[in-house]
Amino acid sequence: MHPYAAYFERYGEHGSIFLAGIPCVYHCHHFNLFHDQTIDDILGESAGFELRMKVARNHFRELFARLARRTGKELPNEIVALAQALLASLGHGRLICEGTGLALRAEGEYLHYGFAWKEKYGSRVRRLDPADAVAAGAVAAIAELTGQKDQRLIGRELQCVAMRAPRCVFAVDRDLSRDASRPISLEELRKHIPGGVERGLYEEEIHEITTKLIEFLRSVSGDERGLIEGFNVFVTLHLASYYNDTAFEAIRHIEAVSPGAVSSAESLLREAGHVCVFNTFGNIILSPEWEALVGPLTGDPRDVVRDCTAIARGLGFGHWAIAEHIPGKRIVLRTTANYEAAHWLCRSGPCSKSRSYFMQGAGVALLVLSTRVRWKERPQLTQAFYDGLFHGGDLGVRLEVPRCLTMGHEVTEVVVEAK
Amino acid sequence: MIDDRIAGIASGVPGLRGVLVVTMPDCLLYGSWLRPDMSFSAEEASGYFGDLIRANRQGLRAVGAWTSDMQVTIEGTSVLVVLREVDENYVVCAIFDREAPLGMVRLHLKIAIEQLREILPRVEAAQMSKGARVLRFIERYAPDAHAVLHRVATRTRIPIERLRNPDGLSSEEVKSIEEAAKRILGIEEIHF
Repeated sequence: MHPYAAYFERYGEHGSIFLAGIPCVYHCHHFNLFHDQTIDDILGESAGFELRMKVARNHFRELFARLARRTGKELPNEIVALAQALLASLGHGRLICEGTGLALRAEGEYLHYGFAWKEKYGSRVRRLDPADAVAAGAVAAIAELTGQKDQRLIGRELQCVAMRAPRCVFAVDRDLSRDASRPISLEELRKHIPGGVERGLYEEEIHEITTKLIEFLRSVSGDERGLIEGFNVFVTLHLASYYNDTAFEAIRHIEAVSPGAVSSAESLLREAGHVCVFNTFGNIILSPEWEALVGPLTGDPRDVVRDCTAIARGLGFGHWAIAEHIPGKRIVLRTTANYEAAHWLCRSGPCSKSRSYFMQGAGVALLVLSTRVRWKERPQLTQAFYDGLFHGGDLGVRLEVPRCLTMGHEVTEVVVEAK
Repeated sequence: MIDDRIAGIASGVPGLRGVLVVTMPDCLLYGSWLRPDMSFSAEEASGYFGDLIRANRQGLRAVGAWTSDMQVTIEGTSVLVVLREVDENYVVCAIFDREAPLGMVRLHLKIAIEQLREILPRVEAAQMSKGARVLRFIERYAPDAHAVLHRVATRTRIPIERLRNPDGLSSEEVKSIEEAAKRILGIEEIHF
């Protein structure tokens, strides 16, 4: 059982995950690294780190504060202990903090982002900037909650394992900027999550598998390093608003200053969906744990799509339904609430285009993976395999989003067809 | 055609199992000759050996000992592999029987490289624009190669359609692509 299981809530039939009322989703290190890389591609490393750190700080501060209140641990040293234990339990790594407020210092050897970056890219690329903006944000949040009230602080990563330092080292400083962003809670999101859900193909089977997966996930928490290593990936239970605020802020920025580059930035946000489905969904399907839950792997595209839809629901992405499926030719995903759209509507209200980038990319990957991977041969889901499947941009499929919650429609609908 | 000419140079050399001519920096096989009893993939091997030369170049630069006259010798249990740069655009990889005397290997390789210099074209790299060369370099060495053009487009704000036709890029655009490449690859300079 997860040490903070009592504070988790699955919202209605949507299955959205809330921890102390703060929206969360599971994502693996491949997605996390690609997402952060995209933010930095759009904004540059310095501004990218600052945005990611501040967004993480704002949402972690709210999460830590809520849990501190609910557990009755509101003294500074209790808040530090709670935050360290919580971060480790969610797979973000084990921070070791000393001091409080502006005097807070922190270290970590196995922080999710820096450690995973070193594992994935370290032998190929020399990193020039620190990787742990999320941990830096968490450090700043702890410092704010344990220091002078209303003092805004920023987290700085002074050393990073991704830059070949022996450990990550953090300090805090005063935040002189005007940062007015605030967390989004369950109460606000509820306004944008309707009561009903879409029903689609294979619904009974998907429901049954999702129920088993949710039960399995209840026992998942960080190991002695504070990492969740499973299904050949490092997993985090992360703040949904971290992904949303960073992605949407970055995309708004590029729309304002460089409209000609928006389509590439949006492609990268969709690409993150490919990365997630390939690595997380794929490795789950190939795992012995999945076989124990679902039965032997058939490799039938119908079963792959069914399983992936259940995984999406289990990981908290929303109650995706398969509206249509012609194996290898066409798939239509539909939902009344996906985690990106609800957040966008809370922040900005309806707009003229779909902002459900992750769901779009995931839909494309679903059609590609369900038909082009020989699952029964249990392939190794390596980077080389991924490059072979997705390299070149033209995947031989056409993506359309005729309806999206962010455009004021009642559902988000992702249509992917083979060309 | 080129394979026939390489065969003409290589086939009489005692103990020689194969010759691969690899283009740099993309590490693609330009031409090859394999002794008839050899069955390995020349294309696959050329990528690995080309990468090895590139890594050696970088390593020598890192210790301040870079030289254009570099040779790499690999002494395996059954083969002796010698890699040598013909010029900045080509590397020759000669694979000998392990028992071939090293002195003879060096002599034959020297002669072979002189002959190869005569037959290898020099136009391709020279005719490629700098923008195309930078993009080719980054596509080869960047992590997440599947997304790298979009990454460069996002960083430089140059529409991807222009990156797909790089010969028309302005010098300013090429400069910004180089900067993006250096950030993405974590390097200070790009060497071709």
